[in-house]
Amino acid sequence: MKTKRMLCLLVSLTLIAGLTACGGGGGGGGGAGGATFTSFIQDEPSTLDASKCNDLYGDAILVNVLEPLVRLEEDANGNNVAVGAGAESWEPNADGSVWTFHLRDNKWSDGQPVTAEQYVYGIQRLLDPQVGSPTSFLLVDCVKNGNAVNKGEMAVSELGAKAIDEKTLEVTLEGPTPYFLALTYSKAMYPVRQDVVEAQGDTYGANAEGMVFNGPFTVTSWVHNSEIILTKNENYWDKDNVALQTVDFKILTDENARYNSFENGSLETVNVGQPEWIDRFNQKNDVTFTQYVVPAIRFQLYNTQDAIFQNEKIRKAFTLAIDRDDVVETIYHGTMIGAYGWVPQGVASGSISDYTAGAPEPLKDLISENGDPKALLLEGMAELGLGSDPSALDITFTFGATTQWIRNYGEYLQQVYKNVLGLQIDLEFNEWGTYQSKINSGDYQVGYMTWSIDYNDPMGMLSLMVTGAGAIPTGWSNAEYDALIAQASTEMDDAKRQELYQKAEYILIHDDGVLCPIVNEMVNRFNYNKIQGMCTNYFSTNSSGLKHVSIAE
Amino acid sequence: MLKFVLKRVVYMLVTLLIIITVTFFMMHSIPGDPLASMARNLPEQTRQNYYAKYGLDKPKGEQYLIFMKNLITKGDLGESIRYPGRRVTDTLMTNSVVSGTTGGLALILGIIIGVTLGIVAALNKNRWPDYVVMIIAIMGITVPVFVLGALLQYFFTVQLRVLPTTGWGRLENLVLPVIVLSFNTIATYARYVKSNMLEVMNQDYILTAEAKGVTPINVIKSHVLRNAFLPCITILGGQIASIFTGSFIVEKIFGIPGLGFYYISSINDRDYTMIIGTTVFFGALFVVAQLVIDVVYGILDPRMRIKAKD
Repeated sequence: MKTKRMLCLLVSLTLIAGLTACGGGGGGGGGAGGATFTSFIQDEPSTLDASKCNDLYGDAILVNVLEPLVRLEEDANGNNVAVGAGAESWEPNADGSVWTFHLRDNKWSDGQPVTAEQYVYGIQRLLDPQVGSPTSFLLVDCVKNGNAVNKGEMAVSELGAKAIDEKTLEVTLEGPTPYFLALTYSKAMYPVRQDVVEAQGDTYGANAEGMVFNGPFTVTSWVHNSEIILTKNENYWDKDNVALQTVDFKILTDENARYNSFENGSLETVNVGQPEWIDRFNQKNDVTFTQYVVPAIRFQLYNTQDAIFQNEKIRKAFTLAIDRDDVVETIYHGTMIGAYGWVPQGVASGSISDYTAGAPEPLKDLISENGDPKALLLEGMAELGLGSDPSALDITFTFGATTQWIRNYGEYLQQVYKNVLGLQIDLEFNEWGTYQSKINSGDYQVGYMTWSIDYNDPMGMLSLMVTGAGAIPTGWSNAEYDALIAQASTEMDDAKRQELYQKAEYILIHDDGVLCPIVNEMVNRFNYNKIQGMCTNYFSTNSSGLKHVSIAE
Repeated sequence: MLKFVLKRVVYMLVTLLIIITVTFFMMHSIPGDPLASMARNLPEQTRQNYYAKYGLDKPKGEQYLIFMKNLITKGDLGESIRYPGRRVTDTLMTNSVVSGTTGGLALILGIIIGVTLGIVAALNKNRWPDYVVMIIAIMGITVPVFVLGALLQYFFTVQLRVLPTTGWGRLENLVLPVIVLSFNTIATYARYVKSNMLEVMNQDYILTAEAKGVTPINVIKSHVLRNAFLPCITILGGQIASIFTGSFIVEKIFGIPGLGFYYISSINDRDYTMIIGTTVFFGALFVVAQLVIDVVYGILDPRMRIKAKD
């Protein structure tokens, strides 16, 4: 009962907060002539078909042109709140296994009404095996009958997504799913127009022509590999709060071209990865610098079936040998941030807006408990009967890239391990495809990877390490961990769930030392001061898009 | 002549068939697949549905036959796997026009400047104009386009702010990419024309012409240049083919939606249909260009006609 009341409170709070979110959109209204914002995406989107899009570039467009059920926006204090978008309000049943969404009146760019049936079709299409969606995994285990439908054993109409009436959507899940709300603002649940998809067939989403939109903007032009132009959607339900008239997304893959463009004003915002450019832009007096953590982690994974790395002390010694402050300074020049847990900063856990804020960081404990990684290594070697000479160990690090950057990074690690543990590691650089097949078949000792979270809940990271998940093949299996995650996946009480997550994360990183978190990625963004209302954290940026951005005259 | 052309067309088709077959099996032998390039391990069912959708679950031989059948009966190179819904042929047609425009202008500019510099250098052998031209030529060959492109972009768009940094569709967008692309051509032609002219100028018939009292300007015009240009046509063939395929680096720096991008990205993405599409396209352009050059050669150079008869 308590949880239900909390959820009701949350829902009403979000509706109120929505009015003040992201600076409220300034004067709004666009007006004659209208404001144009020139932004960028770093690569060509694969498609604008929401069911097939699997890159960040397409996501950046879709969030501005389609209306998800819910958007995550920032309140006046910069905290994220879930705000009704396509849905005016919503409520889960008592155990969180059936979610009902009440849609608001909204229209597509061609004047057709937005209906619950279109949200249902979006879900069906994502899971339809005929569509072959690369992102179907987002809903497959969650929506009722998702697995059977995705395997082709059941018709899509058997899915637990139903339109009760034109304006009411009911989603039945396999079981209680506390993090389901986080999926409603991911790309998995956009509405899709069946008539348009059927009229265009396989070419749907490949070009702007003939597509319809129901978000704050519409795509008016898409020159592949060059630029995408969005125009304010006059049919949008909240158009009075959309200030921009036009958004010009230039597709710029070249880093220097982006920096040059920002320097001379032909881009009004840019993300910077080079310290020298950060210094340079910081000297401009008409720009704002914003830095926020991206929930993506760069980490080392150990093959727990390996003759040497089966020993947790050896694994921990390798994890502890790396000084994260030094990595951030030497390798990333302050453009990333050290990671001391598996769940990145800024990930919400239901009503708890940042999981890591309240969670002890498992790696910090490990560091304070073990002053000398080499002693730990020697203990581990003794347990395995490997003698007492670390330099006799034969250890290879396997990387999934062949760039100069990763080679430099590898040499840095060589130096670190030589200094701290007194051993020489070998480096092996593979092309990604080769690397992946090696890791999957267990043909490695230590690997290196980046993972970015799929939805805004620690479950998005922690479920990856459950026995049999296979996403990060370390060969590790821990019954206690599995039980904690299983329990957390149905626990509707946010505080209790947080506790379960923490216990599980502690086992993974502190007790068993399966993974070695190194850094979390960060966005280092500049924008000219006249651009206002840009969000200041990852999830709100990616969920509210440019809806509340305005340009000061 | 007709027999010669027919024979060459048959050779051409055989060459293309070999290119397609070798490319097809080579690209499938590289580890990884289009899904793996998306950089994460997806659940098994997601993978299976995806492979089935693009026919990648079928045996390689069957995939090859399906591809060949579509290509021969319908002229269809299939749908891109990386960019769902886009026909490879559409991408080739649209983007090669962009590349052809920049590349074509660059080639014309490069030839005009390159040939002029070459003539100047040859006529002033071992004097300062020759040295200046050769320094330009050496720079044109040794300075990589990404350095030149970045330098020009910074100078003209950040320092002087007279040209747009990136983009496509307006005339001023063409200026910098065309200059960067033409640099190599300038260097190539300057050196080539110079050495050919020097070679021709040592021939006996030039001496004869001079002895007959032909003015130096006419000797150059009607004897030296004509003969010196012939070998230049040989290198033109390959260059004409490559203007349509664009340049990955120049496109990237200046944000031009050309075809060069797809030559590199399709391999990284394991976008099989696009790999084979771009390869066939370049192969076909190249062999056709060679054929045209051979025919033109036959028309321009009487010695070739005599050889052909022998």
